Amino acid sequence: MATVTEARKPFSYSPGFLAWMALIGILLIIGLITAVRVFSQGLTLTNMYNNVPWGLWITIDLSAIALGAGAFTLSAIVYLFGLKRFQPIVRLAVYVGFIGYTCALLTLVMDIGRPDRFWHPWVYWNVHSVLWEITWCITIYLTIMVMEFLPVITEHKFFDRMPWTRTFANALHKAAPFFALLGLGISLLHQSSLGATYGIVKSRPIWFKPSMPIMFILSAVAVGPALTMSLAIIIEWVTGKRVIAHDILRMIARFSGYALLVYGYIKFWDLAAVTYYGRTPSVDLALFTLNQQTPYNFAFWVGEILIGIVIPVILFLSPRFNRNPALLVLGGLLAVIGVVVNRWNVTVSGLFVPLAYSPGTQYVLPPGRYFPNMVEWGIALGIIGYALLMLTLGIKFLPLFGDKEHS
Amino acid sequence: MSKKKTKVKVELTRRDFLTVAGAALGSIAAAQFLTTGPLSPFSQLKQSQLEGVPETGHGAATGKYHWGMVINLDTCIGCEYCLRSCSAINDVDADKPWNIVVEEKSSTGSIFYFSRPCLHCQNAPCVEVCPVKATYHREDGLVVMDYDRCIGCRYCMVACPYDARKFNWEIRNDENPYVPTYGTPEVERRPRGVVEKCTFCIHRIDAALRSGLVPGEDPSANPACVNICPVGARVFGNLNDPESTISKVLEANPTIRLREELGAEPSVYYIPPKEGL
Repeated sequence: MATVTEARKPFSYSPGFLAWMALIGILLIIGLITAVRVFSQGLTLTNMYNNVPWGLWITIDLSAIALGAGAFTLSAIVYLFGLKRFQPIVRLAVYVGFIGYTCALLTLVMDIGRPDRFWHPWVYWNVHSVLWEITWCITIYLTIMVMEFLPVITEHKFFDRMPWTRTFANALHKAAPFFALLGLGISLLHQSSLGATYGIVKSRPIWFKPSMPIMFILSAVAVGPALTMSLAIIIEWVTGKRVIAHDILRMIARFSGYALLVYGYIKFWDLAAVTYYGRTPSVDLALFTLNQQTPYNFAFWVGEILIGIVIPVILFLSPRFNRNPALLVLGGLLAVIGVVVNRWNVTVSGLFVPLAYSPGTQYVLPPGRYFPNMVEWGIALGIIGYALLMLTLGIKFLPLFGDKEHS
Repeated sequence: MSKKKTKVKVELTRRDFLTVAGAALGSIAAAQFLTTGPLSPFSQLKQSQLEGVPETGHGAATGKYHWGMVINLDTCIGCEYCLRSCSAINDVDADKPWNIVVEEKSSTGSIFYFSRPCLHCQNAPCVEVCPVKATYHREDGLVVMDYDRCIGCRYCMVACPYDARKFNWEIRNDENPYVPTYGTPEVERRPRGVVEKCTFCIHRIDAALRSGLVPGEDPSANPACVNICPVGARVFGNLNDPESTISKVLEANPTIRLREELGAEPSVYYIPPKEGL
């Protein structure tokens, strides 16, 4: 078993690397201090309040899970659709997915009022709740990703002394198609249910529409692989080693480009239905209020459509641009920004518009006011620090780019 | 060049097929066992609960009682006594009252006063979305909270169409301005990190039923807001009993319910002001 690990150089602590680790350390310390404060004093430290009970942290959850979608998409492409040439990127995709999902779970634990009861959804079931289903799917899918990734971890030198781990890992690796199938099913479920979380809320006119789950899953399928692709190129820049053949990365970019086009198409008809063909007074009023209170239209057209869809599609699909790795990375990062802006817009837009339930005409709740404060940003920085740390450690210590199954 | 298409050859041998089929059947069997077998969390539920009756539809109140309320917008004078008494009895944070009272204008320009407790919907969005069943329907149709189970995800607040739910953002150590003028607390304060809401004073209802009183007919068994109202604008009682006061009030008056189009089936009815809404 000629493992790749043997060929790896002992890593060096270059000044750049140390500075990078120091940055990660600062982010983590900020996150930890903030987390301790939130756990001890409660969510009153945040800018969330009764009218806007969800905010930045929910946006991070949704974004992190959407960005982790590269794992199930690329696993399915390789193991179920048999496109074996994408094999070299699956490990990175699963690892990025794992980081995304753990980020989401960490943020969720911060966000719920009773972190000590995080395990309740597994014991007390409400099968009617999409949030219950999402909790279950995320847990199961995290387990699947660990199972998919364990064989990679056991390739490390450390496990040379324990041959049984290799036997176990081989058995797990043989089951990869099964995990890919299970992962695909579970991911299709919860990625869309995250949209349904909003889509089923009939009390909020902006959210209540059947397109919500479809738009969520399409954006995740489009942007998840694009993030993995961008990270592969960035890793190549940093380590100076060509890790994944560029024609594979370009094909992933083109896949993302086409998926973004489909997403844009659905979004166009959703917009047409909501604001034109199927417009209702309550939705009209809600959107009007929203645009008065927030730069919603600007965020939608510039953040979601231009930055999130149009520019990445051009960069990913035009042969002139997609041969340039830097432009592929740019496209990937813009698509990521687009998805984050979209999740933010979805989350706060429904909450900013006040509920109107009074039988009269005068009394309306004040429109929501919310912008994350330092505590919320602190946790966000900590989560980013965690993601960067995991990524760095993975690149340093794990054979993320081994493709020994071909040899 | 990526233009070159790779030829994908999918070979499905008998062995592969049997493996996949076996795995599929095994999963189905496992799922079946886990959901209906003795390990299933459903195994402790009664048949009526298994059929999903209490969670959705009009039939949330499956028992002898269905507690409801009628609020007469025509007689309400906007004194806020209901809000204050409620806040005192249930020891509610004065900034986040369970009951709200607001001055309102009808479409004809006349002033009336609108108040709102929790509407105890029979098809309650909050009950549907709670991931842990911390908020649920009792047999008497009331939507109640299990403060020991709530994880504080706040999805119920997001889903409630009537803004009836409040979150405990911090440990409560505020002074209650309505105690003792409007009553003394009969229930504990809720801990930090859980969602709370109006209960129709279930502690009073349950105690009254145990001692043989009839809530709705006997004042000591009524919710605090109903008892204190100086003009009798609030009527409480059993909607399932055609002889109860509330049923007679409902029969004698035109009533509306809030956001009827959502189909949440609230248990609180409003008598509109004479000048119209």
